[in-house]
Amino acid sequence: MTDSVVNASPGLSPRPAKSGRKKKPVLTPLEREGKKLGLYMTLPAQLLLLFIVAFPLCMQVYVSLTWWTPLDGTKWYDAYESLNWFGNYGDIFDDSKFWGSLARTFLIVVVVVPAEFMLGLGLAMLFADKFPGKRVFYSIMLMPMMIVPAVAGYMFFMLFQSSGPINDILSAITGTRIDMVWLADRDLAMVSVMIADIWQWTPLMFLILLAGMVGVPEDQMKAATLLGANAWHRFWRIVLPRMKTVMIIALVIRTVECFKIFDILYVMTGGGPGVATKSISVYILDLTFKDLEWSYVAAIGLFILFFLSLIALVGIYYMQAAQKKAEA
Amino acid sequence: MASIEMTGLTKNFGELTAVNDLNLKIRDKEFVALLGPSGCGKTTTMNMIAGIEMPSAGSILFDGRDMRTTPANKRDVGFVFQNYAIFTHMTVRKNLEFGLRVRGVEKSEIQRRVQNMADLMRLNDRLDWRTAKLSVNELQKVAIGRSAVTEPEIFLLDEPLSNLDAAFRAFMRTELKHLQHEFQQTMVYVTHDQIEAMSLADRIAVMDLGLLQQYGTPNEVYNKPRNIFVANFMGSPSMNLLPCRLTGGDGAWGLDFGNAGTSAIEDGELARRCKSAAAAEIVFGMRPEDIDIQPSEVGHPGLNMEVTFVEPIGPRTVIHLAAGDHQVKVAKDKQYPIEIGATVKAAFPKGRCHIFDAESGVAIGLE
Repeated sequence: MTDSVVNASPGLSPRPAKSGRKKKPVLTPLEREGKKLGLYMTLPAQLLLLFIVAFPLCMQVYVSLTWWTPLDGTKWYDAYESLNWFGNYGDIFDDSKFWGSLARTFLIVVVVVPAEFMLGLGLAMLFADKFPGKRVFYSIMLMPMMIVPAVAGYMFFMLFQSSGPINDILSAITGTRIDMVWLADRDLAMVSVMIADIWQWTPLMFLILLAGMVGVPEDQMKAATLLGANAWHRFWRIVLPRMKTVMIIALVIRTVECFKIFDILYVMTGGGPGVATKSISVYILDLTFKDLEWSYVAAIGLFILFFLSLIALVGIYYMQAAQKKAEA
Repeated sequence: MASIEMTGLTKNFGELTAVNDLNLKIRDKEFVALLGPSGCGKTTTMNMIAGIEMPSAGSILFDGRDMRTTPANKRDVGFVFQNYAIFTHMTVRKNLEFGLRVRGVEKSEIQRRVQNMADLMRLNDRLDWRTAKLSVNELQKVAIGRSAVTEPEIFLLDEPLSNLDAAFRAFMRTELKHLQHEFQQTMVYVTHDQIEAMSLADRIAVMDLGLLQQYGTPNEVYNKPRNIFVANFMGSPSMNLLPCRLTGGDGAWGLDFGNAGTSAIEDGELARRCKSAAAAEIVFGMRPEDIDIQPSEVGHPGLNMEVTFVEPIGPRTVIHLAAGDHQVKVAKDKQYPIEIGATVKAAFPKGRCHIFDAESGVAIGLE
């Protein structure tokens, strides 16, 4: 008690420099005992976590370094017998099918994610204000997200049939009979898949962005209005800077998720016509169950994991920068 | 030039009527305080002037121009919020610049005006600080400066001093008065603190339950309260209000305080006002500082009461008196010589007594 009082008053005793090395806190025997007990208590959970997360990853790394395939009866732990080091990874670079799928997946991401973002943002702005029937519309808005993707894919599969409702609606609007073969045309199939994904995942974007928008203090909006700001100024100078973090979160989540696009696409086109809509997930599926190239799949999986981690890292970096700026 | 004229202004929130048929004229460059307890409709009135709330009925004119169709961002009204509503994601400078930037003012002009405002508000060394690091007192200055920098002709302040510490509040009170003088603005000031209202305002509009109770200079509101609410709300300690019966008739009015005794009315002015009384049941009011304490045997009109309690509150002594069912507080100089248990006469002050109708609460015979 007295010590701290003396230390607190400068001049009486030299205070340790602020930037000085942190001293390891001295623990009492009881505290040391407690720390040990804590370790024992959490050990089972830590081991379990290790098994769930670390083991599959390690196994994947291991297998990806071999030619292993279970077809010849080799156990996975004996995979080292066909060790080839980075052979699989080398193959990736020569695999034009892989790069094709990756490019198509990219195309989907760069079209779909911005579209979902803009739509979600627009909707969030609408829903940030009050209007009659808001609750009902809100529920309706969120519904697509809750539908099983495969079911949503089937819905769009039916909608986009050449004898399906989309063509009928377009015909009714334009006044001339339109018979587009949506899912059989290389380009239209891609467009259809994109529309379906946008339909299903805009609500998630909307939900995250709305949460961010509601977090903008109302009194600051009022203050801005009274200082002469119109809706555009308020959005640009108050809402947007405050939503930066949330926007980055939404974009990263959707980018990573969209990269893994599978169910809705697979049900609608199966990756076709030809390979027109074959995404990286569909390609991996083919490799796994048609070509049975399991070690190669493991290598591709790691390659993509690395890639997505990079995207997430960039997002996290910007998010932290934005947060630091807000707190500084 | 900016006068504000409110006519029949009404605001309903569902069942609740927050402001009821308010008629108020605020002259150009006038400092008006809207005073009342919380929930009296003063903030709602302010919001309607600013355009944040739309009136359910009635009109607001700025210099004779109807503001009904003018949105809040076009009214050119400075507004200081109770919690300041500072843009926390910006620096102090950005906060001060905001109003000018959205108006598209030239860069060099913005810089000049922000610099002037920072000098005036003594925020110079804080300009590039994040607002999160500011003290409440500094936030207050940013809030006022941010609005003042756009030089609005009407300035609205919603309880701006209520969050400040006592010393800074007193400082800001004088500062605000200076600022108003400097900017030559029409100021409307919402407060529940009657001392703030009295010290700052040219005129005070006392409100309660959405109704305007009285509108006048601090002097009028304090000395000639129009009803019991105003009489009770203004002043601390508040006015002594004693229910009693009016007895006698023209020339010989008396007051019957029941078990506390009776007293004649010798005050000519009060006797004149008694004539207007509609019923015998009235409420008799005296400000604590107006009451004279005299020995009980003196024949002056008043009540003989017992001293029950003496409160020495710094500059003053508050003496509590009681007789029958009535209690009276008297405010006297500090260290006033008096003993608990003594019987004294609370002598009615001449020309400073108030009478109100017991039923309606309205002051009787006030011209």
